[in-house]
Amino acid sequence: MKYYIPPSRRYRQKAALFSLLALVLAGLCLYLDFNPLMLFTEFHYLGDLLKSMTPPDFNLVWRSKDIPMAVAETVSMAFLGTLFGGVLAIVLAFLAASNTMPFRVVRIPVRLLLVLLRAIPALIVILVFVVSVGLGAFAGMLTLVIGTIGTFGQLFMEVIENTESAPAEAIYSVGASRWQVIRYAILPQAVPSFIANLFYSFDVNIRASIGLGIFGGGGIGFRLFLAMRVLHYRDALALVCLTIILIVLMERLSDALRGRLIGRGTLK
Amino acid sequence: MIEVRNISKRLPDGRKVLDNISFSVGKGEFVGILGASGAGKTLTLRCLNGLLKPDSGAILMKDASGQVQDICKVSRIRLRKLRQKIGVIFQGYHLVKRLTALDNVLIGRLGQISTFRSLFYGFTDEEAEMASQALEQVKIPQLAGTRVNSLSGGEMQRVAIARAIFQSPNLLLADEPISNLDPSNAKVIMKLIRPLSEFMPVIGVFHQPEMTARYCTRVIAIKEGRIIYDGDPKLSQDQLIDIYGEELRQIENARP
Amino acid sequence: MNGRSFSGKRYRKWVMPVLLLAILAEAAALVCGVRLGSLGKSFISGFSFLAGAIPPDWGAFPELLRPALESVVIALTGTLVGTLVSLLFGLAAASNISPAWLKQTTRLLLGMERSLPEIVILLFLVAAFGLGPFAGVLALTIGCVGMLGKLIGDAIEEIDPVTVESIQAVGAGKLQVMVFGIVQQIIPSVISFALFRFELSIRLSIVLGAVGAGGIGLELYRSFYLLDYHRACSALIVTLVMVLATERLSAFLRKKVRKEGALR
Repeated sequence: MKYYIPPSRRYRQKAALFSLLALVLAGLCLYLDFNPLMLFTEFHYLGDLLKSMTPPDFNLVWRSKDIPMAVAETVSMAFLGTLFGGVLAIVLAFLAASNTMPFRVVRIPVRLLLVLLRAIPALIVILVFVVSVGLGAFAGMLTLVIGTIGTFGQLFMEVIENTESAPAEAIYSVGASRWQVIRYAILPQAVPSFIANLFYSFDVNIRASIGLGIFGGGGIGFRLFLAMRVLHYRDALALVCLTIILIVLMERLSDALRGRLIGRGTLK
Repeated sequence: MIEVRNISKRLPDGRKVLDNISFSVGKGEFVGILGASGAGKTLTLRCLNGLLKPDSGAILMKDASGQVQDICKVSRIRLRKLRQKIGVIFQGYHLVKRLTALDNVLIGRLGQISTFRSLFYGFTDEEAEMASQALEQVKIPQLAGTRVNSLSGGEMQRVAIARAIFQSPNLLLADEPISNLDPSNAKVIMKLIRPLSEFMPVIGVFHQPEMTARYCTRVIAIKEGRIIYDGDPKLSQDQLIDIYGEELRQIENARP
Repeated sequence: MNGRSFSGKRYRKWVMPVLLLAILAEAAALVCGVRLGSLGKSFISGFSFLAGAIPPDWGAFPELLRPALESVVIALTGTLVGTLVSLLFGLAAASNISPAWLKQTTRLLLGMERSLPEIVILLFLVAAFGLGPFAGVLALTIGCVGMLGKLIGDAIEEIDPVTVESIQAVGAGKLQVMVFGIVQQIIPSVISFALFRFELSIRLSIVLGAVGAGGIGLELYRSFYLLDYHRACSALIVTLVMVLATERLSAFLRKKVRKEGALR
């Protein structure tokens, strides 16, 4: 009895904690009028929906020139969003990293900016851009740029700060300038990570651009939203299938490209 | 008592790794199995509790009801029941690192309590007390509440032995139990295992002939899948060279 | 050392890819209707618009607490249930314990699920079950399973097989071996994944709210469209606090798990 807690007491502790959590959760659900048992009582609605969704109606793909354009929009949004967002994220990361930016006057505000951009919900960003530049893929692309900076700005900053300081010190000691140190010591270590993350970012942005389409960002997401709105469920399912195919294709493409790029050695 | 009758095993590439191995071990015996690496010692041991199935032969043992069962041919459920009465300790200790020493000992009897109870309620206080006594037997009762991943190698192996003791087994198997330990810890472990042979047959695979000479009651040597020696644990130099090959003579000759 | 040809050769291999990138970017910009010229003007109008939203509507804060709580509960429930279900999917997706046919099917399903943004899933669920938090929780759960199912499957494939063997050696039943041998080894990873996913779920819960799941996202969206920009600003502030607090909490708990292997 001396060296261990008897199992019955441990069990009582665990059971009490578990019951408390369950009670709190149940209380919250009650307070918020949220009934999880609906899953079983209302399950048949899902069946009804499925029935009205199948078979998916792929006619709309040939019917209008609109859908290929929508696909192009979605891919372009993600591409540009990743490109510009990535570049800006890298620039800001260098401005925020302690080993590349010695002036706190610059570092602190940039870090604050990165934290803010990360926390801002994409919802607000797209709404603001829609108001500023109008509905469509442009607003979506800008939102993705901001989103990419938010997600990867801090990450890239950490990558830069985590590079080994030994090569940098060595190059400083031969009298090189800060720019040269960055180019020869820090970049070679950080670039593979940047590239890998950018490819990942492209994957994420393709999905995000579909989501943004619903709020007026253009692309397949927008068409999907419209189809659901007018209850054309079979069209909607066709678009969903298209989405899945597109995403899987893009994933394969980006995997292959990344393999070639990093395998070959992209460092100057 | 366990009886091994003519077990053989051939690898997919045609090599025969076990060739008509036969022996039997009874209560009161502490058998050490010696041999060069790859000779087939560990394979033999793993056949004894069904972790490996030989191509032919039989391994006979009495189950809880007194009936003789062939471990090689027995059904899965019967094998589980038999295993509950076979204690095993491994070279790498093989404990659940995240759990405390006591929990690891209690795991020994997992098969003997209902699945439902083991997942939701756990063990009773009486079982915990018995597990604690098993830890006392291996001289580390104070570590009952400590997580295993913070214990030393020797302590972990003692927990493993406690787990085996907790099973109240009819047979104890040990797969190179001291190979990862320093000499003083190894001696402690051997001193803990030997008295257990009073109650059940103990079979262990070892790489340390000096240890088996000191602590075992009998030694079986395996070479290229065949038993080449079965008898007195004290082996002469020539016998050792026969078991381990020419390298040993060269090492011996290199000594000043 | 012929300096000229040296630098030329080194940089020549970059000309092609950069050119290609530029062409692609131009094409993409055309498709998206990028108008860089008007960007400057739009930014100004955007900023003045934002400036008009400040100061936030102080009176709205008390009313916004309940939707915020709703969003948190939706995210929490979705992540919790999703994690439990992901354990099952993870076991089915691990090549070392799952038969090949089951593993392939499960991985395929999970991959397909990951291709669908949660918003799209929510659209369908709203069409089936109507607006409200129920569809939101379901969408988050499904999204969680897609992500954690794969991660847990990978984690199970990396466990130490010898511990599993030793639990088999004591004669334990199949379920016991799975729980004590396999699940015990991956618990710290699972907790880490779940905390990370919780962060994500909070953000998603906000967006999903706008599409119909309720909570602070809906408030944000609604205030925006009703042109009540001050209220929108308040909602935004509440959202930011929520997101930042969750991030801190999640990072803190994850560090604890990494050090001690449990939440204790």
